[in-house]
Amino acid sequence: MIELKNIEKYYANKGVKSYILRHVTTSIKQGEFVSIMGPSGAGKSTLLNILGMLEEATYGEYHFMGEDVTAMNERKRIELYRNHIGFVFQAYHLIDEMTVAENIEAPLLYKKIPGAERKSRIADVLDRFNMVAKKDLFPNQLSGGQQQLVGIARALVAQPSIILADEPTGNLQSAQSEQIMDLFRKLNQEENITILQVTHSEKNAQFGNRILTIEDGVIKEDVSVSK
Amino acid sequence: MFKLNLKIALRNLWKNKGFSLINIGGLAIGLTCSLMLLLYVNYEWSFDKQLKNFDKIYLAKLNLKFNGNIATTGAVPYKLTGAVMEEIPGIKRASRFYVHHGSKLFSKGENKFKLKSLYVDPSFIQILRYNFLYGNEGSALSKPNSLILTASTAKKLFGTENPIGKSVKWDNLKELQVTGVIEDLPKNQSIQFEILQPWAFFEQIDSSVKTSGWGSIDCAALFELKDNASVEQINGLLKNFVVNKEPELKSYIYEPFLFPLSKIHLYSQFENGKVVGGGIDQVKLFAFLALCVLLVACINYMNLSTARSEKRAREVGVRKALGSSRQTIMGQFILESLMLSLFSMMIAFALVEVSLPYFNNLLAVTIEINYSSYLFWTVIIGLILITGLLAGSYPAFYLSSFIPVKVLKGFKGSIGTLSFRRALVVLQFSLSVCMIISAIVVYNQIQFLKNRPLGFDQNNMVQLDLEGAFKDPSKTEIFKKELLQAGAIVAASEFASPFTEGGTITGDVSWPGKPATDRSIINYRSTGFAFTNTIGAKVLAGRDFSPQFSADTNTSVLLNESAVKLMNLKKPVGTIIHWDNEPLKIVGVIQDYFSERLGKIGEPTLFYYNVKTSGVLLLRLNPNQSLTTSIEQIKRSTQKFNSAYPAEITFVSEGMQTKLQSERLLSILSNVFGGFAIFISCLGLLGLALYMAEQRSKEISIRKVLGAGLSDILVLLNKDFMKLVVIANVIAIPIAYILMTNWLKKYDYKIDVNYLPFLLAVVASILIALLTVSLQTFKVAKANAVDALKYE
Repeated sequence: MIELKNIEKYYANKGVKSYILRHVTTSIKQGEFVSIMGPSGAGKSTLLNILGMLEEATYGEYHFMGEDVTAMNERKRIELYRNHIGFVFQAYHLIDEMTVAENIEAPLLYKKIPGAERKSRIADVLDRFNMVAKKDLFPNQLSGGQQQLVGIARALVAQPSIILADEPTGNLQSAQSEQIMDLFRKLNQEENITILQVTHSEKNAQFGNRILTIEDGVIKEDVSVSK
Repeated sequence: MFKLNLKIALRNLWKNKGFSLINIGGLAIGLTCSLMLLLYVNYEWSFDKQLKNFDKIYLAKLNLKFNGNIATTGAVPYKLTGAVMEEIPGIKRASRFYVHHGSKLFSKGENKFKLKSLYVDPSFIQILRYNFLYGNEGSALSKPNSLILTASTAKKLFGTENPIGKSVKWDNLKELQVTGVIEDLPKNQSIQFEILQPWAFFEQIDSSVKTSGWGSIDCAALFELKDNASVEQINGLLKNFVVNKEPELKSYIYEPFLFPLSKIHLYSQFENGKVVGGGIDQVKLFAFLALCVLLVACINYMNLSTARSEKRAREVGVRKALGSSRQTIMGQFILESLMLSLFSMMIAFALVEVSLPYFNNLLAVTIEINYSSYLFWTVIIGLILITGLLAGSYPAFYLSSFIPVKVLKGFKGSIGTLSFRRALVVLQFSLSVCMIISAIVVYNQIQFLKNRPLGFDQNNMVQLDLEGAFKDPSKTEIFKKELLQAGAIVAASEFASPFTEGGTITGDVSWPGKPATDRSIINYRSTGFAFTNTIGAKVLAGRDFSPQFSADTNTSVLLNESAVKLMNLKKPVGTIIHWDNEPLKIVGVIQDYFSERLGKIGEPTLFYYNVKTSGVLLLRLNPNQSLTTSIEQIKRSTQKFNSAYPAEITFVSEGMQTKLQSERLLSILSNVFGGFAIFISCLGLLGLALYMAEQRSKEISIRKVLGAGLSDILVLLNKDFMKLVVIANVIAIPIAYILMTNWLKKYDYKIDVNYLPFLLAVVASILIALLTVSLQTFKVAKANAVDALKYE
């Protein structure tokens, strides 16, 4: 599903290149649950952003579902991630002025999905996440865990094939954290959604089936998690 | 503390150069506009107020019945001042003054000039207290052949030598003696002249002056009241003054009253005998305009400053966390805005100085900055303070209200303040749209008046005064023949007075079927033969005066359309009417033409043949010959026939040009300042766009991540602004409509206010706003979403 070949990312400042990522080559298959780990500043988030097409690599090849992302124009790229990628953020990034239901609806609007189907999908997602009662609340009326649930619901409602999560539980207490990770595992196993998460927590990484460890922009380790 | 604040303020201005530039630029333009307008308002306001005793000086006005309405004129009977001085207490001095139509020739050797002279009583110079450079107030007007010159007139005639006692030839007839030279008159004085001559001289040259009755009103009169006199009391006594002398005038009302000289310039419009306005309306309008432009500029500053609040929020938070009080922070922001307003004022000042000559030229005024005037500096400092405080108060209150913990945790401005700023932008845009619509309507009306058929052909038409040798009609006749033969002109006719100025009126015309109570007043003008041909007017019935009919020189008259309508004549040609009880036969009807006033309905006018009393000669130039050749020929012939006088040939079209002066002024000012207001408003909108974009950068990024395209984001952001502009339009349109229909009321001929100016203003304002906002939103929409989301 994802093929990375020799991905490099650096910022040039007065002729000095400071590398974020070096020679990253890997591939991720449909249905994997990958955790990216490593110390702060190692380049985990940058890698995730490149995978999510929010940033461009300075150098290297990136194939997403067989298509060359580096050669794509912006519209095509937006089209691609509209249909295939869902994002989950550490800080949830819900739109404060919108209710829970409206937040979940937003990506569907951009996918130009007709009103009736939007309604049914939102109802479906709300139902699945047990948030029907909270659908008219605003983000600041919810707890952190609940906000992140909305964030995931929003990522899921567009029926993506891959979810990119940047420290999804970084702001949460352990109980809530576990709940979210359980949810990811369930999605991965039952719906075969590819999940890529950046995390600091060893424990969270164990929920997945593969761990990529990055240090100083280089992939140090690539191991499967044995159950 | 103050020094530190000042340093920080300067540093902040320097650090954000772009922002400071927009802010200073906006404020400077706003201040320039309002300074300019205030200077103009001050100029208009200062009229006649430079006289030390201006509050004691009054002009006589007279109410009289005029075609069914009460008209108010500045002309009074010759006898009025003398009788009033004798019979009404409380008056210190009184003087008549007589204003000529046109000017008279004054010559000293080869220096020949047509100059504007007034005939005045000796008390005139005591009332107005001119500064004498030579001679003195007491004796300057004691002899009939005395002359008082203004300094520049003296320089024209005599150069640098002392002119006292020297003689000047008047109208090529009489030698007069210079008895005084006064300082040049300030431009902002209503009574203007180049030469003063004693009333006694006027009585010498015109014997009818002494014998003229109460019914004829020919001169103006100036009164100076005693210190304790009440003008109400005097006006009460004046009310029936003339009518008591001559009861038959009762039916014409004839009520004189005193009106302050200092008000004459701005309050010149009377209705039903009461003052209703005049130039003051325009002055008020401009003062209001100045205020609006300044307000728009201040709103701008508020918007831009608060837009930057995100950047300043952290600073405020840290300062508060370090223990700074709210007052200190407010002080700093106010200080910053005061500095900006000071810089802006300096730029505005330079701009005003640079553009003042153009402005003066454009409006035909002479406005100067009086640097020694306390008022000027007070206004300048006042403007700086007001602008600084007004513009700085809101940002200061808003920014200093941040709660440090929240700010430091990455707080974004609250929504409540945004709606306030939205209201400000709506206000700004409403004002600007109002100005645009007004500018368009005023322009359309001017074009309409300009393009309306005048009823005569103003091009290729010149006039010259009949004076000197031309006083002899037979000489004029030869002169005309010579020009016709030379091919310089195709037609010529004498006319009563300068063609584009007003003339004489009478109430003594009667016609078959005239009701006994009818007090209609009719214009009368003397002409020569071939009058209609010369001016290019249309004869609707009958014929023009012609040498073939001997009766034309004494018993024939022409009427214009309006006069025929007034007299309700079915078959005007051949009808006998009476004027001063003399029977006259109507031989022709001329279509109404408009040479005296534009935009008004035609006034009933009677034309009669009399070349002796006619004051000017109208010439229709030969269209098949170049203008310069014709003019050269006319000049040469004039010199030959009338060598004592300078050949002054004036174009009628030039006279017509001056008719729309005040309309043109309004149009220019509303255009220029409306344009600036729109420009500043756009800066304000840019400020708001900046703010919104910053405010919503997170939201926009999330939306982008969720799959929103560039166009989605642009629509999302612009929609909000367009809503504001549309609301502004909705507010502005009815206001502009009411204002404009009111303004158009004073014209008899006017455009219909249709939807076009409104549509234009709406489209223009939306387009301009869209462009401005898109400039900013495009940048935000294009920005990388990650940058905004990365470090939360």
